Amino acid sequence: MNEKAPILQFHAIRALAARGFKTYVESPSAYVVLFVFYLLTGYLFTLPLFLTGQASIAGMKDFVPLLLTFLVPALAMGLLAEEMRSGTFETLATLPLEDWDITLGKYLGFAAFYLLAVAGLLFYPIVLSFMVQPPSHLDWGQTIGILCSFSCLGLMYGAIGLYASSLHKNQIVALVTAFLIAFVLFLFGKLDNFFSGPMATIVEFVGSDSHMMAMSKGVFDSRDIIYFASVIFGFLYLTAQRLSNRRF
Amino acid sequence: MIRAFNLTKRYASLTAVDKISFDIPKGQVVGFLGPNGAGKTTTMRLLTAYLPASSGRCEVMGHDVSKEPLAVRRSIGYLPENNPLYEDFEVTDTLHYVGKLRGMTDPARRMERVKTVLKACGLRSAVGKKVSELSKGYRQRLGLAGAIIHDPDVLILDEPTSGLDPNQVLEVRELIKDLKKEKTLLLSTHILSEVTATCDRIIIISAGKIAADGTAVEISGSLQNKNRLYLEMKGPDSAVSEALSALPGAARVYPDQQDGGRSGFIVESEAKTDLREAAFNLAAEKRWPILAMSQKTLSLEEVFRKLTQEQPQP
Ligand SMILES: Nc1ncnc2c1ncn2[C@@H]1O[C@H](COP(=O)(O)OP(=O)(O)OP(=O)(O)O)[C@@H](O)[C@H]1O
Ligand SMILES: [Mg+2]
Repeated sequence: MNEKAPILQFHAIRALAARGFKTYVESPSAYVVLFVFYLLTGYLFTLPLFLTGQASIAGMKDFVPLLLTFLVPALAMGLLAEEMRSGTFETLATLPLEDWDITLGKYLGFAAFYLLAVAGLLFYPIVLSFMVQPPSHLDWGQTIGILCSFSCLGLMYGAIGLYASSLHKNQIVALVTAFLIAFVLFLFGKLDNFFSGPMATIVEFVGSDSHMMAMSKGVFDSRDIIYFASVIFGFLYLTAQRLSNRRF
Repeated sequence: MIRAFNLTKRYASLTAVDKISFDIPKGQVVGFLGPNGAGKTTTMRLLTAYLPASSGRCEVMGHDVSKEPLAVRRSIGYLPENNPLYEDFEVTDTLHYVGKLRGMTDPARRMERVKTVLKACGLRSAVGKKVSELSKGYRQRLGLAGAIIHDPDVLILDEPTSGLDPNQVLEVRELIKDLKKEKTLLLSTHILSEVTATCDRIIIISAGKIAADGTAVEISGSLQNKNRLYLEMKGPDSAVSEALSALPGAARVYPDQQDGGRSGFIVESEAKTDLREAAFNLAAEKRWPILAMSQKTLSLEEVFRKLTQEQPQP
């Protein structure tokens, strides 16, 4: 559209984000997603606790990334698709907002809800620490690291989900598209053993897995942060582009 | 205030809006009239910077829509077709939300404005209700209230009274009459009485083209300067139509339905040409008995039908 650099309208972004967050809080489908999330993570947490007496959320490390490839797109699928389906997108698009205002507003609403959901995982270790006889010492550094890696991963999937949601008014299209992209990134992380030389490095870098490894040990590597940040930015950029193609 | 120059919008193979030009001065209320699929909604979407034009240009309050879409969006209040609203919102939430997105950051001022439009749109009895609980008339009022929350100079309303019962149509019309005192207004409809009741000027659009533009009197007058002869002959339709077209002085021939389902042809000619005699001779020559023959004048209703039905619809 215009040549001039977009100036973000923060009041509008805030209003959009608050509205998005409120929609999640009031929507039954978001609770279904949360229910599945906490049920499975709860299982992964308690299983080692009973079997080996170990208190750790490390058991979630392998399975949760896969779970999120599905659950996060399910949370994000409605962000724009629902507005397009119901026609409210036309009202939104004819308000004096830039594409980036809408993109960021929608994304931040999702991000707030998602981060809260991940923070909810703290419930398990906290309950444990209040137990009379803590089964074993909990490594808080590792716990925070793992939660951070889940946060980064989910925020990345969320950006993918938002983009997918801008493609079509059908939410299922958004869900499947986002899942496929997220799943491919997940798979790349698992496939690096099958490649060698520079190819392996590329596959490893593209895959999400390797970037969570250090973080879940509590080590924050700038390359990992750059990876997540650039994928997030990339998909937000695509979303803004998509919006500008849909209207001006 | 609103200008269009050769405005065109093409979808894949279909030209929905075809080189439309008009100029709406400040304070005018213009009715955009046309049958389904004529291109009313598409034109409005071009004016509100929702869709990019394929060619041509348009401006609103001096802002070119493609170059300064934000300035255009700021100065327009737009009620889209079917009045989409967030079903889970309450009435006042809806207005506050639109207000916030429109940059009304000061809560006290926004509250003031929300109260004003609630009153102006007769919505005060609906405060506290959810959008999903509103009747269609009240939904429409809420849509209008949202469109005027920022007190725009230009209002574009796409079928503001569609789907309402006659009482509510009147109420929404009253509302529009109140609004028009201070605003430039473009509203679309396919109901004729709508425009004659509320508008200063009518633009009739058909198959993407402007078929007529002017006041109701001007438009029906411009078509009255032709002679229209209704003829019913007992003969094969295509042959009759062909023979009538061949009459010297006949400008146009098209089928027409009379009350009671009888069908014949209208033969159009210059006002001074009288075709009755020629038609009689033709009937005698071809042995097609004349069942009916009458001179026709047009009501606005018929003007609309005529202007919009002759072109083949896509
Ligand atoms: N997104 C689209 N893609 C392709 N064709 C479209 C699209 N939107 C509208 N059209 C076509 O463009 C033409 C004009 O449509 P438009 O909605 O502007 O008509 P309208 O005058 O508003 O009709 P109505 O009275 O039914 O609302 C129609 O033939 C329609 O099928
Ligand atoms: Mg329409």
